[in-house]
Parts: sequence; structure tokens; C-alpha cells
Amino acid sequence: MAGKVIVITSGKGGVGKTTTSANIGTALAQNGHSVVLVDTDIGLRNLDLLLGLENRIVYTLVDVVEERCKLKQALVRDKKNQNLCLLAAAQTRDKSSVSAEQLKKITEKLKKEFDYIIVDCPAGIEQGFQTAIAGASEAIVVTTPEMSAVRDADRIIGLLDAAEGIESYKLLINRVRPNMIKSNDMMSVEDVENILSCKKIGVIPEDTGIITSTNRGEPIVNNEKSLAGRAYINVAKRIDGEDVPFLDIDEPQNFVEKIKKLISGLKKQGKE
Amino acid sequence: MEEIYAESTYLLDLSNIEYIPEIIYKLSSVLENDDIKNKQICLKLGNVILNEAQLLSIKSLISGFDSSLVSLETKSEITKQTAASLGIKITDSEQNEQIIQKTETSDIRTDEQVQSEIPSENVKTAVSLEVDAARGSGTDLDDISSINKESTVKTTEDLQDELDVIFNSNSSISNIFQAETNEKYAPREELTDIVVPKEEYTKEDIEIETFPTKYIKQTIRSGQVINYEGNIIIIGDCHPGSEINASGDITVWGVLSGIAHAGSAGNEKARVRALKMNAIQLRIANCYSRRPDSLNSIFVEKTDSFTPEEARIINGEIVVFKIND
Repeated sequence: MAGKVIVITSGKGGVGKTTTSANIGTALAQNGHSVVLVDTDIGLRNLDLLLGLENRIVYTLVDVVEERCKLKQALVRDKKNQNLCLLAAAQTRDKSSVSAEQLKKITEKLKKEFDYIIVDCPAGIEQGFQTAIAGASEAIVVTTPEMSAVRDADRIIGLLDAAEGIESYKLLINRVRPNMIKSNDMMSVEDVENILSCKKIGVIPEDTGIITSTNRGEPIVNNEKSLAGRAYINVAKRIDGEDVPFLDIDEPQNFVEKIKKLISGLKKQGKE
Repeated sequence: MEEIYAESTYLLDLSNIEYIPEIIYKLSSVLENDDIKNKQICLKLGNVILNEAQLLSIKSLISGFDSSLVSLETKSEITKQTAASLGIKITDSEQNEQIIQKTETSDIRTDEQVQSEIPSENVKTAVSLEVDAARGSGTDLDDISSINKESTVKTTEDLQDELDVIFNSNSSISNIFQAETNEKYAPREELTDIVVPKEEYTKEDIEIETFPTKYIKQTIRSGQVINYEGNIIIIGDCHPGSEINASGDITVWGVLSGIAHAGSAGNEKARVRALKMNAIQLRIANCYSRRPDSLNSIFVEKTDSFTPEEARIINGEIVVFKIND
């Protein structure tokens, strides 16, 4: 079976494309699939840092394209997860080093070896983006519940519609803060879905643990206690075709709310 | 701080100090007095936790002044254990009090005298050497050995061959991963036995000496690459993500955190030197080593004191030395 190529994109920078790529990739690998993460953010690579593989990179995507090494030589295996590989971007070059056709060739080759090829897309809508989506058949659009990110996501969805290879795309809403939604300071998940008229594949709550996990070079899905980690695991399961209900990210803040939530939960159960 | 003179034994009370470099500094400043030589020293420590290496460095510091550490008093259980493992006698506070009582009659130096000898403003600068002694044995040595432990040094050809074998053998991916996990690193014991061969002055050394030298006076940032046919001297830091390639030596007067490739044309006598070696990867000629994962620190603490280090090839492996080794 040929592998699936999924591109993680957003348009706006800093919404969590790389974090999402690292976590979904790790979660899929944990579920027993062979996964390769392809970093196409040439010149500003970060995916290796998030996985803690920075010190292992010898050859990069650009070396493969320029035929200084074989594709398989450039694949860096993950420290913990045996099913996970990384194809890192070059840090010392720029986006023009790899063309859309060249990346498409590489993803075609990778399809034969891996179940999932996750492409981490750079920010922006220029050549880097066009390159990243070239070989992909599916896309995950990452956005946060902010107007600027949603606008950019809308633009990206428009471009994905026009792109040839993309068969389907889903929305991933990142950094959601239930308390701000409650006090009407933040767009709700439903609002974002309505504005973009696009189905969601996951909702990731804001989690300070992301920062520590990034600094340590360990994806947050390895931390079972983390709500964001569990949300990413669920996203991976949905990619895999499983029907997983959306996580209740509404964490009660104080004791009274906790009790209220408990009672309402019991009432619901009673009705059913 | 309190020190009591006896005929041949000293009780040094450092129990109010909780910071290891400060202990070493105070200790050395007391020992520097000519009076304290060829004496037996009882050290009194507070809650400070010392590991084996730190205690050893204290011991060697004392022996460096022709004295010897005979017993240790400490409140920390961990320090007690390390002292026991090193064969240093541990005394209880009661016993020491007896010593104090015995030695009370002999001349006692007051705190003020000692204080006047140690101007507190200078503590930070003067402490550097001793701090290095403590850190060197406490952390840096560990680091060096762990670099060796983790560095899977292979020539690029070997690496290629190995990869070819793995991939061409029609094996599934799981086999490739198996190969990686089976890769065992040399245990630490072996590393302490590294025989450093006596260096011979070869024509490769002469080659490096005749190379032109490029002098760069700036910080090398992520994404910047410096290629040069010859030696490179950089006055400044090399940040992670930067790359320096030279056919001769690379000398960094600063923190080296990027990738450095010395002897890129194949000269195995090329070396990499840095005030602080934190390189993600070190490459010399056809050898390559990577920073151990345990050292995955976010940034390097910038201090006044550095331990300059030098990497060179010994028996086909990259070994990082402290510059005075």
C-alpha cells in the first residue's frame, strides 16, 4: 500500500505547524505506522529541535535534491520511536533550493517505504508553500482562534482548493482557551469552523507544557498527563480513520465549577 | 569561617558556606598561606552536597599544597557516602569539638584576619580557576567522557557503506531501526583507559602551519556558513545552526555551538579549539562525532570562566581535551 502524504500548513507563522507535525508524526508512529516527517522550512528549520534530533543531522533535503547523498542516508531515525524518521531541511540555504517537482519526486519515493509522510510547510504563500504542497494528497490547516490566523487560513484553503494534488483538507484549531471562549473574549471552535466552512480534525487546548516539551526536544504526546498531548493523539487516530469523539478541553478552574460540571455530567448520563 | 591551628592538624570550618566554588575558593586562599604546608586537614562542611568528582578535586587541591585531607565532617548524607566511597574518614561533630577544645590553646586566627585577606569583591574573578577545578571534574569531565561514549565515530565511507548495506538488503524498515538500537556505545571504563599516543610532528602538521589563516571578528549566526582553504580564527561565538568548514584548524574565541569541520580536505592532524565546546557536531577529516543527548541544553550559560577545549583525532576517534591536558 502506498503511503499517504499529508501537508501541515497554516499561512500565518507561529500557530503551531511544526509542533503539530512533530506530535502527529510521533503519535502515528506510536500507533505502529511507519512515519517520515519532512521539514520543508529550508533556512528556518525547527522540526529537528522539537524531536531532539538536531545533533544527528548530517545530510538534509537539499543534499538529497542536489544528489550529494541518497535519500535513505538523509533520513534520521527518532531516538525513542523506531517507526519515526525525519528528513531535515537545510539550515544554511533558502527556499529556492528545492522546487515543487523535486519534492514531489522525493515524496513519491518515500510513499513506497512509509505509511505516512508528514510534510511540515513553511509560513507564507510563496514558493516554499507551493513546494510543500506539491506532493501532498491531504492537508491539515492549522489555525488559532484569532482573526489574523483565521484570515490567513482562509487564504490558504483557497489556494489548496486551486491546487491540483490536494484531495481533501481538514482544520486543526490550536491554542484554544475554553475560559476565554466562555467570557466571549475568544472565537469559539464553532465560529472558526463556520467562518472557514471547513470540517475540523482536532481541537488542541493551550498548554504551557508545549513550551517545555519544545525546549527539551520531546513531543508532548509522550506526556500522557497533558491534555494537548491527548488531543494530538486523538488527531492521529482520526487521521488513521478511527472515529474518536472530540476531547472535552473545558478544564474547570475552581472547585465550584468542578462540582457544577460533575452534576451536569451526571444529569446528561441520566437522560441518556 | 574558622580555622584552628594544631601541631600538625587543622580543622577548617566551612560549614556556613553552601556554594561549592566558594568553598574551594576559601579553601585555596587559606591553603595558600605558607604556614599551612605538610599538615593534616580536617574539613568541616555544612549542608553542601558533594559528588565523588568534586570531593576528589578538593582532595587534590589540598594535596597540591603539600597537605592532606584526613577527615571530613558534613551534615549531608550524600557527601558522607561519597567520602566513604573515597576512603575519607568521616568524623562526628562531637569528636571535632574535642579537637577544637584540644587546640583552643594554640593560636587562633580570627575571622577578621582571614576576611581581610579575601576581599569579597574579588571572589568572583579570583574564583575562576578553582571553579574550573570543581566543574572540570564535576561536569566537564563527565561531558567529555560522555561525548566519547556517544560519539559514533565512523568515516563517512563506512557510514555510507553501512547505510547501503542496510537499505540495499531489501530489509524492511524495522531492520534498519534494529541496527540503530543494537549500536552500543563504549562503556565509560574503557574511556578512562584511552591511551594518548605521543604526538609526532608530521608533514601534515607542517601543512597546517603553512596554510593561510582567515581571521573573523564577528558572531557567526544560524544559517551562516564559512568555508575556507586554510585555518580559521573566529573572535566571537558560533551559534547553533552555523557551519564552519576549514581545511586546517578552527579556533573559536568564544562558544562553539554550531557544526565545525576541521581538516575538511582530509588532514587528520587538524584540530578544533574553542573557549567553550558545545558543538552539535564535530567533524575532523573523515571522522564525525555528535553532541551527546544528555547535553541537550537550551543555551550555554555565559560566565567569566571558561575551560578551553580542543578536539583532535586519536586512534580514529574524535576526542575532546581540556587545553591543559
